[in-house]
Amino acid sequence: MITRIESISNRLQRISCGGLLLFLLFYSLPVEVLAETKVNRDMPSSAVLNPAAELWRDVRQRESGSKGKSQVRGVDSGVLINANGDRWRKFRMEQLIPVGGSVLLGVVALLGIFYMIRGKVLIEGGPSDRKLFRYSTYERMIHWFLASIFLFLAISGLILLFGRPLLIPVLGKEVFSVLASASKEGHNLIGPLFMLAVVLMFIQFVRRNIYQKGDLSWLLRGGGIIGSKHVPSNFFNMGEKSMFWLLILVGSVIIASGLMLVFPVFGQGREWMELAHVGHALGAILMITVIIGHIYIGSVGMEGALDGMTTGYCDLNWAKEHHDHWATEVIEKGDDLSQAEVEKLEGSSLPEMTIVKLQESGK
Amino acid sequence: MIGQFIDGPLWSFSLGVFIIGVIWRIGSIVLSGVKADLANPKGSASSGAFRTLFTRFVPERTVTRRGKLQLIAGYAFHLGLFVLLFLAQPHIDFIADRITGFAWPAIPHWAFIISAEVAFAGLILLWLHRVLNPVTRLLSDLDDHIGTILVFLVMLSGCLALAQSFEPLRLLHLLLAELLLLYFPFSKLMHAFTFVMSRGYTGAAMGRKGVNA
Amino acid sequence: MSDPFEQGVEALREQLDAKVASYFSSCVHCGLCAEACLFYTETGDPRYTPIYKLEPMKKLWRQEKTFWGKLGTSLGIGKTLTEDDFAKWETLVYDSCTLCGRCSMVCPVGNDITYMIRKQREAFSVAGYAPEGMKEATRRALKIGSPMGVTFKTLQASLAHVEKDTGLSIPIDQKGADYMTLFSSMEIVNFPEYIESIAKIFKTAGVSWTISSEAFEATNSGIQIGNKEAAAELVGRVVDAAEKLGVKAVVSPECGHAYTAIRWEGPNLIGRSYDFEVVHILELLEQLKSEGRIKVASRDDTPMTLHDPCQIVRRGGVIDQPKELMNSVAVNFREMEDQGVMNWCCGGGGGVSANERAEELRLQVFTRKKKQIQQTGVDTLVTACANCRIILEEGIEHYEMDTEVISLTELLAEHIQEE
Repeated sequence: MITRIESISNRLQRISCGGLLLFLLFYSLPVEVLAETKVNRDMPSSAVLNPAAELWRDVRQRESGSKGKSQVRGVDSGVLINANGDRWRKFRMEQLIPVGGSVLLGVVALLGIFYMIRGKVLIEGGPSDRKLFRYSTYERMIHWFLASIFLFLAISGLILLFGRPLLIPVLGKEVFSVLASASKEGHNLIGPLFMLAVVLMFIQFVRRNIYQKGDLSWLLRGGGIIGSKHVPSNFFNMGEKSMFWLLILVGSVIIASGLMLVFPVFGQGREWMELAHVGHALGAILMITVIIGHIYIGSVGMEGALDGMTTGYCDLNWAKEHHDHWATEVIEKGDDLSQAEVEKLEGSSLPEMTIVKLQESGK
Repeated sequence: MIGQFIDGPLWSFSLGVFIIGVIWRIGSIVLSGVKADLANPKGSASSGAFRTLFTRFVPERTVTRRGKLQLIAGYAFHLGLFVLLFLAQPHIDFIADRITGFAWPAIPHWAFIISAEVAFAGLILLWLHRVLNPVTRLLSDLDDHIGTILVFLVMLSGCLALAQSFEPLRLLHLLLAELLLLYFPFSKLMHAFTFVMSRGYTGAAMGRKGVNA
Repeated sequence: MSDPFEQGVEALREQLDAKVASYFSSCVHCGLCAEACLFYTETGDPRYTPIYKLEPMKKLWRQEKTFWGKLGTSLGIGKTLTEDDFAKWETLVYDSCTLCGRCSMVCPVGNDITYMIRKQREAFSVAGYAPEGMKEATRRALKIGSPMGVTFKTLQASLAHVEKDTGLSIPIDQKGADYMTLFSSMEIVNFPEYIESIAKIFKTAGVSWTISSEAFEATNSGIQIGNKEAAAELVGRVVDAAEKLGVKAVVSPECGHAYTAIRWEGPNLIGRSYDFEVVHILELLEQLKSEGRIKVASRDDTPMTLHDPCQIVRRGGVIDQPKELMNSVAVNFREMEDQGVMNWCCGGGGGVSANERAEELRLQVFTRKKKQIQQTGVDTLVTACANCRIILEEGIEHYEMDTEVISLTELLAEHIQEE
């Protein structure tokens, strides 16, 4: 369920995204060219211009971005100096890392504050003694498969992005170089598994994430924060559906850019690689932010939220409160179970006959 | 100094424990003996044993229907691990240098990577299944989990050292592999060898009855 | 005199052979055996996982034969086998296992779990942890000669009826006959038409046969409860009678465990091979047909399907004969899904049918057989085991189905050319 914090943080991301894109746009304007020519005009007319200035201007591709010819076969081999490279480097060091880092820390801080104020959102009326079957073994496996891979990729990726400013001062260059190499190798090898996990997740859950009647009103009522407390929802509410589609869409960007980065053999030049890097990083920071919220809600944020994904069964009262339409359907079919029935299917209780037999023999 | 220990004495020790341990385990099983079967056989025991050894690689239809997960993840893990362990260049170099004295052709690097990914996917999914499925959760004990985690750590450390440029990473991988070798004969990992016996014994008994098991 | 539990542990210890050691060493707890087990698939209860039923035996093996077990014992820590384990596992070992053998067929590392359950029952029966119904059946078998208390007098009455209805005479204690046939009590009491059928068939085929007044019982309760002394005693009676009459072969009737007992376990129980052969009635019938000694005169066009008795087909090795005989006589033979070696158990084998306590569970898991029958769309079910027959009939009645159950031998008898 999407909380107000989720929607605030979503808004924040949208702002920062927009801001970053604006910065990028700004940088693509030939402002420096203007500055350069300005400098030229300040020189005394009698001074002999550097005879190679023309040549070097071409090489640096200030104006036309012309390509030379080279005996070396390869993409971009006719480009001696990539002017854009510096722009990209500055973006990474001066915008991406500080702003991205602030966004991540900000989300964690905000959630911390929210938890201190609001605390754990409890089930209305407390937990019941009946359970509904929510996620099959396979579905839980896919989720935790994706989760563990995401966690590993997030951590290794964050080490690669934030390592230089944050970790080198702490660990020193030698230790960090080992850590960085390990992170890079791990990140690159496990990366394609993320693709597998997202595909499996998509296939299994896409049906339940299609827009249904009632989703928009759920969203407009902020999932229950605005207006009356009880907002009915289907198996997945609009917040969860939004996160699903965000995962699929942003995840696809991350995967596509990731594949481009790890396989630089398909004719992509330096500009594509820079774009891929930016897309990968922005997408990843966005996803990590969203997932931090997801983990918050699923663990300490809401009572009863984690059970479905660990045991496969969720509390009936929790289900009625957060996924009313679905819960009602299940209850009407008579498919709700008692704690004892769940324990039997889990194998955590003795079979009836054994209990009878033990009672008979006085044990 | 730790590096020299890992590369030297600990390697020899762990390899020794592994070889002696495996032989000891297999020996103790065989020496427990089986009573001779006095019933008049319908078919041959030895061909039954040989047959079952290979037919159990092909899943029975019930399994294909109800055990798809264990089947796919199981094969992914085992085949991926086998390929990367014995056919990847760094491992062939290591084995040639330290055990056999001779090498054999390696698979291309991209095949190494793919088999590693397949093995990882299989192992993670299998362990998640072990923990989440009520049957396997009921059956599993500490040995199962330690075995899984150790193998996973060896694979992960290997992946982290893939650049082959940092001694600490290579030594970590080697150290974990040595711990695995030490643990192997005392654990369920022995199934890698004992499955030949268990399939063989059953195949023989069923073969005598004229049943292709 | 050590207490029964101690004796049970000693009996269990004797069962730890190389096979058991290799099986426990190879089991990686993959859970696939559960997917093959009727009791798990129809209830969803993980405690019915076949290998889980062997926890007591595994505990002892681990304690006494493995490094960690022996280390634990010497340090005084770790799990030891207790009487409580026997008490808790009794229902798993006897009520929820029919020794059907499906688990043994699917285990990826080739474990014969059925073999191990049979061995574990040796310990449980000695320690006294077996169902009352099965204990009673075994006592009756040892004392009277039949688990249902059928005496030779009772059999004679049945035989008299058969002689009257067919006009044939049934040879008793005929020395030098080719075949000595056995009957299961279930057939004598509930399905005496079987006796009539084989009398007719043997007459037509010109088979020289006889029944022994001293040993006519095929059922071996000792095998089911898992007690080798009882099993050996019961098999021994048949062996002695057969060798006394000097017959060429003993015919095992339509009873599943009887075939396992006399054909496969018998020589190992008494410690020597026989002076005669053992043949299942279906094997004999198929042989007679292929030799031309019986000819199929008419065929039945009623749509019918076949239930493969576990102990005869999968655990017995009589795989092709049931289908061949069906095909020779039935025009509309519709095979069930999983027909043949992997067919599902009726739920009543391994002594479960003699265990009143297990009735509810047995009827619950009959849903699998029900599904199989309904999928074929036929109303006639053919089988070759009297125990399966009664269990199938009970299950069919419980679920208010309209299926008729008939015996393969009887079906054949109705359609062979009479002289």
